Amino acid sequence: MAKLILMFKDQVMQELPLFRESMTIGRTPENNIQIDNLAVSGHHAKINKTGSRFILTDLQSTNSTFVNDKKIVSHSLKDRDKIQIGKHVLLFLSSETDRAEQSSIGETTILDTAQQRELLGKQEIAAGQDIKKIGVLSFSGSSEIGEVKLIKKLTRIGKADNCEVKLSGLFMGATAAAISKRPSGYTITFTGGMTKLKVNGQVIKDSVQLNDYDTIELGSYKLQFYEKEAESL
Amino acid sequence: MKSTIAKAAGLTDVGLKRELNEDSFSTDMKTGLFVVADGMGGHLAGEVASRVAVDLINKSYKKWLDSDVPEEDLFEYPDPSLSKIGNYIQSSIRLANKVIHEMAAEHTDYNGMGTTVVVLAVMPDLIVTANAGDSRIYLVRNGEIERLSKDHSIVAEQVEMGIMTDEEAKQSPLKHVLTRNLGSAIHLEAEVFEIEPSSNDRFILCSDGLTDLVSDDEIQQMVVAENDPEVLCRNFIDKALTRGAHDNTTVVSVYLSDIEKSKSDPFKKMGSILADILTTTQKATKIFKS
Repeated sequence: MAKLILMFKDQVMQELPLFRESMTIGRTPENNIQIDNLAVSGHHAKINKTGSRFILTDLQSTNSTFVNDKKIVSHSLKDRDKIQIGKHVLLFLSSETDRAEQSSIGETTILDTAQQRELLGKQEIAAGQDIKKIGVLSFSGSSEIGEVKLIKKLTRIGKADNCEVKLSGLFMGATAAAISKRPSGYTITFTGGMTKLKVNGQVIKDSVQLNDYDTIELGSYKLQFYEKEAESL
Repeated sequence: MKSTIAKAAGLTDVGLKRELNEDSFSTDMKTGLFVVADGMGGHLAGEVASRVAVDLINKSYKKWLDSDVPEEDLFEYPDPSLSKIGNYIQSSIRLANKVIHEMAAEHTDYNGMGTTVVVLAVMPDLIVTANAGDSRIYLVRNGEIERLSKDHSIVAEQVEMGIMTDEEAKQSPLKHVLTRNLGSAIHLEAEVFEIEPSSNDRFILCSDGLTDLVSDDEIQQMVVAENDPEVLCRNFIDKALTRGAHDNTTVVSVYLSDIEKSKSDPFKKMGSILADILTTTQKATKIFKS
């Protein structure tokens, strides 16, 4: 199993196995990995397991998150990556099995002839690797909502009763925004109300495609979008 | 937001190489349902398959919509990822598939018949699109084009998986081999998408007679340039004809009208109250000054 080694000034403090799909790192006690130091934000960063990869995302922390001395927003962790959070260092150690899986996924499939049988054969192989993913909205900060899986083709967000994600607020639109799963991926559309929709800090007046770890703001609500492997229904 | 259809039109043409037109389409402004189907199979079978698909989808959708049928009472189990309207569409396509499949099995004349289908349903607060096969639906919004359908062909699926490039797909002899259509299997799941409508959205439903000869970029330019959907359909057919029209070509275009954003927001009410106070104060100040 992959793990993190928590270090402070070259001293090993703790060994932390990454056994959850999503682990949060921060100063406050509700985090899976708590680092009680003022340089660390309440909700500083999180690590999501997607397939055999671990994705580290900075949750817009005050003092930022660094990997191998580079500031990151989101980063796919590699063996022996050095994550710096405040004055603490988390050393990422991947497991043998994860490393093996990653190297096989990276291999290029070569397409040589246009023979139908061969094409179909390859299609079957490729279909086996095809991972079904589902979009997730993760609310950060004081919100009690937590995570919302986007199981519908169209998810409406707002105050109205027919909204899949209900948010309150005086200026919140009946339907403030809608997220639809389209052939090109997930798209968020501003649909009305006086509460501004922001994606990665940019005000959105119509639609924008969502990418992994985009931050969405609707008034005081702050949420993050990412796609994760769908559990079999 | 509430959407209404400003104008819609549909047109089909046999083309220059084929003797029969196996495409069918329907436009229903009342229910807001639009369908294009591209049939296949010898003799008259392709024509029959596409006609049956269009008729049955219209009939079942209208019936369910009029009687507000609960999702559990639809044909086969409802899809939890879809709205009620989305499930009406999915179910109507499943039903049409079953009928065409049985017809093909029972009558020797109809052996091997099938059809693609692409469906658009416009509701006041929802747009539903569905497709099976390689007929397409495009959305042009704010001048930008987006496909709201997924081609169910061997090459399209391989492009999606990243084992074939777009260019290779265009050259492939398997370009027209479909992985899904109405008629060939007992069960069929259509690809369904749901979106929020927006002001002046323009939708194009078409058979591959158009998309084989006219690129997405050209479609986008032609849609943006033409404000009358009827003229647009004519322009598309003419374009296909000037390029050889080796296949039947069908186009349905649906233009939505200007949609007023929801007026019930408290801030707007408050905004107007604030504006009133402001003007009153200004007036008062003026009076006071004078």
